Amino acid sequence: MEASELQKLWKTFEIIAIGFVLFGMLLVLYLIRGLLAPFIIAFVITFCLSPVVDYMEGEGINRTLAVILLILLTVIILLILWRLTWPTIQTEIGNFQKNAPHYARKIQDGLTQGMKLLEKKTGFVPEGVLQSAVQKRIDHLTSGMGDISFLTKTVAHFVVTLVLIPVIVFFFLKDGRRIKKVLITYVPNKYFETFLTLFHEIGQQISGYIRGQLADSFFVGVLAIIGLYWFGINYSILIGAVAGIVNVVPYVGPLLGLTFGGLLVLIDTGSIVDVVQVVGVLAFVKALDDFAITPLILSRSVKVHPLMVMILISFGGTIHGIWGMLLAVPLYCTMKVSFRILYKGFVEYGKW
Amino acid sequence: MRKNIGAEGRTTMNKGDKFTLILNKIRGKEGNIIPVLRTIPLFEGLAFRDLKKIELIAHERTFMPDEVVFQERQPGTGMYFIKKGLIELTKTINDEKVKIAELGEGEFFGEMALIENYPRSAQATAVVKTEVLGIFRPDFFDLIDRNPRLGSKILLKLSERLTNRLRKTTEMKLKEIE
Repeated sequence: MEASELQKLWKTFEIIAIGFVLFGMLLVLYLIRGLLAPFIIAFVITFCLSPVVDYMEGEGINRTLAVILLILLTVIILLILWRLTWPTIQTEIGNFQKNAPHYARKIQDGLTQGMKLLEKKTGFVPEGVLQSAVQKRIDHLTSGMGDISFLTKTVAHFVVTLVLIPVIVFFFLKDGRRIKKVLITYVPNKYFETFLTLFHEIGQQISGYIRGQLADSFFVGVLAIIGLYWFGINYSILIGAVAGIVNVVPYVGPLLGLTFGGLLVLIDTGSIVDVVQVVGVLAFVKALDDFAITPLILSRSVKVHPLMVMILISFGGTIHGIWGMLLAVPLYCTMKVSFRILYKGFVEYGKW
Repeated sequence: MRKNIGAEGRTTMNKGDKFTLILNKIRGKEGNIIPVLRTIPLFEGLAFRDLKKIELIAHERTFMPDEVVFQERQPGTGMYFIKKGLIELTKTINDEKVKIAELGEGEFFGEMALIENYPRSAQATAVVKTEVLGIFRPDFFDLIDRNPRLGSKILLKLSERLTNRLRKTTEMKLKEIE
């Protein structure tokens, strides 16, 4: 066999090996997906806090000390916020718990009535089929709620996650760069510079996106709570917080927040004026966010066409539900950057 | 570390040594990257604390004989310091590889790529088994962002080197004209 043929064979083997390694990594990630949640949350928190630690380090404070101080400060701020808002939250939770069966019945009645009407109007669906299907679905949803073992498992998982997150954040913040350095050690010499640039660009894109979305959601949540509280709407904190949290998912999130808020108030008071107020406040906050806050926060973040974002989110949602919706855009950005860098290597330089 | 041998033959340490020992324990070991960094003119006079930060962005790589470190025209992303071994720099002129330099231990190459994204002007190949330390632009710019004071010190040193090189080129050109 000639040397050039051997080289070709080796190249093919290299590509297959890289493919296997990537597939193996994805498989491992899939197998341990249950354990990933605290890591993903810690990852997000690390991205948000790292600029502060970097700044403190730049001012001459030891990195480990800076990380400890920052985590302590964050915990203290969260505790103060908790203490300040707890009475209102407690009242809202209490009210919600008290009224939950009533709300559930109202929703159930409404859905059954709707299905009954649908069966009558369409004519071809046998009477009672849709109604029993809805009934079954609701029973299935509510059956898990009272299950003690389910509750214990959920609470235990929540507590473990709560303890794990600060520990992971501490190590990510303190040793993040060292971890990255160790990981990149295994890249062959030939691809080293390309991979280093790739790592860096992906980090920039993802951190920009996460920081932007979280800051944006924070502003939306706070402004929505203030606005709803101003109008004296029941569950203002709950509705505002949900609006803020779901705002993390672009385009679809604000609509979900609006629907949740409007429906909750409609079921609670039945007053159209209240619904209009909620929808008005949330729409105003979203408009303010789009025109004033987003351009400021996301100016350095990723640039993806709105249509592409919507396609990605619906695609992500179809494949993996809420996680799919959340991860669709950052994953797309990662692939886009990787493709750009590798393509640049191919076209401008001729080989990779 | 300096040690004093006592009259009874026991090894004793003076106060200064004890202090250095405690200090070294607190600040951590130097490892094998920091001693190399100390020898590089670019990092001359930097404190241990700053060198520790540079250590985090310095990547140790080993190249086998005839292995290419970077190709000519390849987008450059960083500079390399030779820890051990020999590197040959070649340039393709009229489809022929021409050797332009051979660099040994303690020397460095590719520093222009640390500042700007420009294709490599030559190919670097290891002549023998060579250990290098690489510092790359994305990490370097991040370091400057995070530590502007340290960044300005390094950039000043880099500017000194580039100024010297420019002066030499000008002098050579002037001599040619004369």
